[in-house]
Amino acid sequence: MLQQVNAPVVWNRPLTGDYWLIEVEAPTIAGPLAPGQFVNIRIPGLTPYLRRPFSVYRVSPDRRRLQVAYKVIGDGTRLMTSALPEGGVCDVIGPLGRGFKLPAQAKHIAVIGRGIGIAALPTLVDAAADRGIAIHALLSARTTPNLVGLDIFSERGCTVITHTDDEPSVAQVTDHLIGLDKRHPFDAFYVCGSNRLARAVHALAERRGVPAEIAMEQHMACGFGDCHGCVIDVNLDREGKETAFREVCHYGPVFDTWEVVHARA
Amino acid sequence: MPAPNLRVTIAGIEMKNPLTVGSGTYGHHGNFSQFFPVETMGVLVPKTVRNYKWPGNPGPRVLETTAGLHSSVGIPCNTWEHFVAHDVPILKTLKLPIIQSVIGRTEDEYVEIVERCDSLNVFAGIELNLSCPNLKQGGLDFGYDPDSAYKLVRHVRSKTRLPVIAKLAPDYTSLLKVAKSVEAAGADAISMINAPRAMCIDHVTRKPMIGNKIGALSGAAIKPLAVYMVWEVYRAVQIPIFGMGGVTDFRDVIEFMAAGARAVGFGTINYVDPMALPRALGELTRFLEENGIADVNELVGSAHEDRPALVVPERVVA
Repeated sequence: MLQQVNAPVVWNRPLTGDYWLIEVEAPTIAGPLAPGQFVNIRIPGLTPYLRRPFSVYRVSPDRRRLQVAYKVIGDGTRLMTSALPEGGVCDVIGPLGRGFKLPAQAKHIAVIGRGIGIAALPTLVDAAADRGIAIHALLSARTTPNLVGLDIFSERGCTVITHTDDEPSVAQVTDHLIGLDKRHPFDAFYVCGSNRLARAVHALAERRGVPAEIAMEQHMACGFGDCHGCVIDVNLDREGKETAFREVCHYGPVFDTWEVVHARA
Repeated sequence: MPAPNLRVTIAGIEMKNPLTVGSGTYGHHGNFSQFFPVETMGVLVPKTVRNYKWPGNPGPRVLETTAGLHSSVGIPCNTWEHFVAHDVPILKTLKLPIIQSVIGRTEDEYVEIVERCDSLNVFAGIELNLSCPNLKQGGLDFGYDPDSAYKLVRHVRSKTRLPVIAKLAPDYTSLLKVAKSVEAAGADAISMINAPRAMCIDHVTRKPMIGNKIGALSGAAIKPLAVYMVWEVYRAVQIPIFGMGGVTDFRDVIEFMAAGARAVGFGTINYVDPMALPRALGELTRFLEENGIADVNELVGSAHEDRPALVVPERVVA
């Protein structure tokens, strides 16, 4: 059930690199939230006009609070650092969209995140680690401080491999992934934050015949499927013979990679 | 003092209060219905339907602007069969009047979709979208041209027993001519304004920023031009007006009613604050009580010269 709540802000401070962390008390959203679902946050006033959609970074163990790791990148996120002070309230709508699916038989998964895309993965890592699934995390960013959430991936027992842009990162992430998969085959792949990585992950998953999912982004207005604003072109079949516009907020944000990796791209 | 009267009658449709939604901003009672009971509003205007399947425009479809939304969604629409099988049964369960918005690419398509909607015995009225600024074909030509608007409304009027509401294009030049022509053709009410055409260009790539290149502007940014147009049309025609365009709160509702609207639609704000309409209803009621206004209908047209201004108590400056 969709909720709009005025959630008390319990934390809103710098996290690492360009990132801030906001934590709000919203049990009706945090409770049922599935890994990969997102929330839509309103910044008070009419400028900026639209809400800002964010993947949920983490849910507290008692499932009363949720965290969003946001990159301070534009007017809206800059204002979030001051307009949503601790002790105040934050207007949040959620839980939104469809999240990641963990196959029942999965024993070993790979999560691949790039930049802000990394922030969509910790809720998945928590769910997988709780089930005793072994996790390899391949994380890349522009700079080392922007590798957000490294502590969480380590705490949850992931084998973490990082790259930053002072190394030739894309080739290395892909090479690593293929090498790891040869030694200990993955049962599923999850990718967020890079179309190039998504194409590489998709190709590997197709060869191996295992599922691969991707969390997508698109400009959004409402976030709950009414405005039809956030569409992407989605394959309706694995061969990509037929495509259709699908709302990222409603049909996603998590898609199977075959739905969004187009043969012609 | 007894509770103020909020009931309004527009195009013969009785509304328990003057608040509604702009078509396309509430869907067909889907996810939006989870925020508040739809019966809170006076009348529901669901998303525009066509008599054919239509994919809508490529993304990106929405872009934030200063206090507004630049968009070009393109009125995507599933098949008529899907509408009848999935949406109509839900709409039938709602306990409020429903005005279905329709669009077509030709006069015949308009007439056909109106006849289909009429045959369902679900709707209290039909809104003709004459002014969608997103489509190369479609409503635009009708809404900008008094002669084709007259012909279309006349044709539709002869084919349905339902009240017909013409939604006008926000075009300064043709506005009053089209308003008068749809009135002469038998429209029962006017709905205005649809979102005006707009464009945003990326300063780096120097190319339009949304998929369709040309889009519309909606949200708080357009309110003054919408209020002005309602004010002008109110003076030009006798039929009632559904006013909308950038409505955010109860003060905007009063502003539109003062300009001449008998009912007021919440549009883009629904995407930002789904509770805006029920909150405004509470605040409007309180405003009427506090200012001794017994009937919300007293607000209609109150901005015009022949109407006295409300005497505001002198404010004490400390």
